[in-house]
Amino acid sequence: MKLVIDEHRCKGCNLCTMVCPYRIFQEGKRPGPRGYVIPALDQPERCTNCRLQKIYGRQLCGMCQLTCPDQAIAWIEEKPYEAHKVVIEY
Amino acid sequence: MTLEEWYRQDRLPHIYCAGCGNGTILNCTLRATNELGLDRTKTTFVSGIGCSSRASGYTSSDSLHTTHGRALPFATGVKMVKPDHDVIVFTGDGDLSAIGGNHFIHACRRNIDLTVVCMNNNIYGMTGGQGSPCTPYGAISTTTPYGMREMPFDLCAVAEAAGANYVARWTSYHVKELTQAIRAGIETPGLSFIEVMTQCPTSFGSKNKMRQVSQMVDALRANSILKDKADRNKAAGIPLEPGKFVVGELVRRSNPVLGGRP
Ligand SMILES: Cc1ncc(C[n+]2csc(CCOP(=O)(O)OP(=O)(O)O)c2C)c(N)n1
Ligand code: SF4
Ligand code: SF4
Ligand code: SF4
Repeated sequence: MKLVIDEHRCKGCNLCTMVCPYRIFQEGKRPGPRGYVIPALDQPERCTNCRLQKIYGRQLCGMCQLTCPDQAIAWIEEKPYEAHKVVIEY
Repeated sequence: MTLEEWYRQDRLPHIYCAGCGNGTILNCTLRATNELGLDRTKTTFVSGIGCSSRASGYTSSDSLHTTHGRALPFATGVKMVKPDHDVIVFTGDGDLSAIGGNHFIHACRRNIDLTVVCMNNNIYGMTGGQGSPCTPYGAISTTTPYGMREMPFDLCAVAEAAGANYVARWTSYHVKELTQAIRAGIETPGLSFIEVMTQCPTSFGSKNKMRQVSQMVDALRANSILKDKADRNKAAGIPLEPGKFVVGELVRRSNPVLGGRP
């Protein structure tokens, strides 16, 4: 599972940056497609939901998603690992 | 059903200002209905007019966006005709307690089986920030530029006195507790009243030195006192400080119910 912010919904209120116990949401600098400054995600893989939602079969912390007034936070399925050709340059 | 299916995705993003707590309360309500596994075809949302009342338009089940102050009479009608529906009312402090004040008292007196979620932002948000019956003493609004000189309504006390079966108060900061309270409200037969103190950065915060959303949320957190602590203080003779409010489950009882499930 992967944590994502829907940039078309986020209004940059930064409530998510207040509630995440792991400080995964950080105040952003870059304006999104609608001109709002969207938070940046700092190592989202530390989120309990990203890591454990599947194992436990239910949502765990979810504070950011419950608090986000604009329904902009979600977890999406990640693509399975794809093998890449490794090119080693000498 | 998943949580996403409870939202009308084609209507999002909604009209609320950045950081408005109404969106959070909508999340908590829909999370509660989803957790309870309610049938979307047997759940009806009803609301009056105001920013808060727009919430019913973002739910994917049946919803009625009615006239200012009349959410409760409409909801009463729905519940009487369809007793097997779960009827949830979204309303604002002005909608419920000013123009809809008598309807509120009598819905509580009848103890009709509804769940009322009142988004109390202390102000008339949609019409530009006039003072409402819930504007705190001394607060600045467009109609009280020198500070409010009337005492605010305690909506939970009104609901309790009028006869509601379940009364709770939380804030838009207490998301988990609020979701739990809405669940309890839906499960309790009779009128369940859940008051949610919420932030309106646009109309209230900007005039009361809380322009930032985080300042408003911090103020909500600082001013809320858990019921247990308030009870202990009361026993020790310490009165509630002005501007503070009690949060928690305030009333749960089983008075006779109108319009319950057949
Ligand atoms: C009969 C009637 N009177 C007045 C209005 C204008 N009006 C629309 S919304 C509103 C205030 C809403 O305030 P509140 O219920 O507190 O909700 P909020 O917008 O703060 O969420 C008013 C006075 C109206 N629509 N209908
Ligand atoms: S679910 Fe909890 S830990 Fe994960 S990002 Fe949201 S608030 Fe942070
Ligand atoms: S809480 Fe939601 S709308 Fe606000 S900044 Fe975070 S993602 Fe954006
Ligand atoms: S005016 Fe206030 S209550 Fe209305 S949408 Fe804006 S912040 Fe929310």
